Amino acid sequence: MSEHHTPHNSPDREMIESVWAEARDLVRRLEGSTVQRFAVAAGEYKIEIERGAPAPVAPLPGANDAAGALPSGQPVAAGAGPGLTVGPGARMASGVFTLEQAVDTRIPVLAPLVGTFYSAAQPGAKSFVEVGDSVEAGQTVCIVEAMKMMNEVVAGEAGKVAELAVANGDWVEFEQVLMYLEPAEA
Amino acid sequence: MFEKVVIANRGEIALRVARACRELGIKSVALYSTCDAESAVVKFADEAVHVGPPHPGKSYLHIPNVIGAALKTGADALHPGYGFLSEDPFFAEICANNGITFIGPEPEVMEKVGDKAIARDLMQKAGLPLLPGTIEPVGTVDEAHEIASSIGYPLIIKAVAGGGGRGMNVVRRAEDLARLYQTTRATAQAVFKDSAVYIERYLDAPRHTEIQLVCDRHGNGVYFFERDCSVQRRHQKLIEEAPSIHLSDEQRRDIGERAVKGALSVGYTGAGTMEFLLDHNGNLSFMEMNARIQVEHPVSEMITSVDLIQEQIRVAAGEPLSVTQDDVKLRGHAIECRVNAEDPDRDFAPAAGRLDVYVPPGGPWTRVDSHCYPGWSIAPFYDSLIAKLIVWAPTRPEAIERIDRALSEFQIEGRGVKTTIPFHRRVLADARFRSGDVSTDFVEQFMAGEPAKAA
Repeated sequence: MSEHHTPHNSPDREMIESVWAEARDLVRRLEGSTVQRFAVAAGEYKIEIERGAPAPVAPLPGANDAAGALPSGQPVAAGAGPGLTVGPGARMASGVFTLEQAVDTRIPVLAPLVGTFYSAAQPGAKSFVEVGDSVEAGQTVCIVEAMKMMNEVVAGEAGKVAELAVANGDWVEFEQVLMYLEPAEA
Repeated sequence: MFEKVVIANRGEIALRVARACRELGIKSVALYSTCDAESAVVKFADEAVHVGPPHPGKSYLHIPNVIGAALKTGADALHPGYGFLSEDPFFAEICANNGITFIGPEPEVMEKVGDKAIARDLMQKAGLPLLPGTIEPVGTVDEAHEIASSIGYPLIIKAVAGGGGRGMNVVRRAEDLARLYQTTRATAQAVFKDSAVYIERYLDAPRHTEIQLVCDRHGNGVYFFERDCSVQRRHQKLIEEAPSIHLSDEQRRDIGERAVKGALSVGYTGAGTMEFLLDHNGNLSFMEMNARIQVEHPVSEMITSVDLIQEQIRVAAGEPLSVTQDDVKLRGHAIECRVNAEDPDRDFAPAAGRLDVYVPPGGPWTRVDSHCYPGWSIAPFYDSLIAKLIVWAPTRPEAIERIDRALSEFQIEGRGVKTTIPFHRRVLADARFRSGDVSTDFVEQFMAGEPAKAA
């Protein structure tokens, strides 16, 4: 077994990421179909995907030292989407791909201006939203304040708050990610 | 000295300021709109903050975003460049209120200098020569007629709040005066929200001559001689030179001293430029003062060996000027060509796009101030300036040969991209230009005299 560890931003990495993008796209499109297993290949890279119970990929024996963690980041399946495992496939040998960036289908809520992020309307008040809350399109999720002007930031579409990317009182720049929403149609 | 300067501008001037900061050991913060995310200044500066979408009103001119970025990065000073917010006294005040030193004059001084009528009044009191005309705004048509009979025709009616060539009408005959007076007032109200107008004698084909100066906060002021910017099209400068070959040493010393005196009399600090018109009898008349660094500042740097952006930063930080008037010597001749992404064969229509080939010239005393690089896309939201090409040589004829040589080496290509390089080279080859007898009507006459282009 070999492990494949690509340096950040190498051409190999771009190839891997584009193959992954194809695979993710197919996964979405094949949702609800009877396809159990498929593979995407390009050049030397191949990803095989098989339907199964949701489970993180167990690290291959001997692949690394640290228990439960692959050398360059998240286990692949964490980004591949629910209900999938990844079969072994790697450049000219078996092994496991790892990508540092998880695949993200979440909707980012972006800062519309430069200023300070506030999670509530006033200090001490209840936050507009917490992780896990469902929000509707147009619903205020936070405030970005600039020069004493409070600007309400709204959700662009319906969803569920998945993660807050900044903390109350943080400075943010234009289009900085404030939070992630899971899209409403799971 | 400042620890960190925010650069509230873009393109070549942002990079220019960032370079000066780097040489002074000051941290620089680039502000960028979305389409400038890969710009040269963003790559060069120590930090960068995304301040808005491409539209300048929502980014570079968006005061809360610009101030927010300055506060976020902990900058102690801000350089506004030219254009954008550089002559906005309201913005300068907001910087001060937020503990950010604005690199430029004080807001009240900027406001005085920006009002043409007030500036003319103050400068006349300081001993600067003015064209015959009014200091006070002209309130009625009858007053206009009175003034016209004392100063004569042709005359020009100008909006007090105008600038950049807008809000002005030339009157050649008495029968047109009433109509044009009313028109100018109406336009001024509509465009500048201020209908006040003044009247002065109009010079046909004067030479645009401006004096560069810098004043510090210790009462010192130094002039860095003059620039001739007569090669203009629709009040946009295309070629600038320093010095003007039409001024004697005596004249340039005299007008330089008056300019500094005038600036100090209004409490001016920082870099500024006093604009004059030079008539064919050798008389200079004050027009207006620009309270900012200008695009064409490099030609003055080349003939005096002084870094004007560094001086701006120094005096804003409370340091005295690094040179005295006696230290500043005029040497040789410098010329600048503004290379724009415009098609001279289609009335200078914008012709921007992605630059596939960008190879600037080099060689002796050949300077290129530009933010461009191969792969950079010139966006439609801002000005069309690709690069400023500046050369220095011991004499004007040598400078002309040098800049023509440099233009011949300058390779700029991209799909749909056209530049003014061929136009510049044709001007440089022109006998009238070479003689130096250039006035503000030169470009119009030059283009009228050119053979008609194939459609």
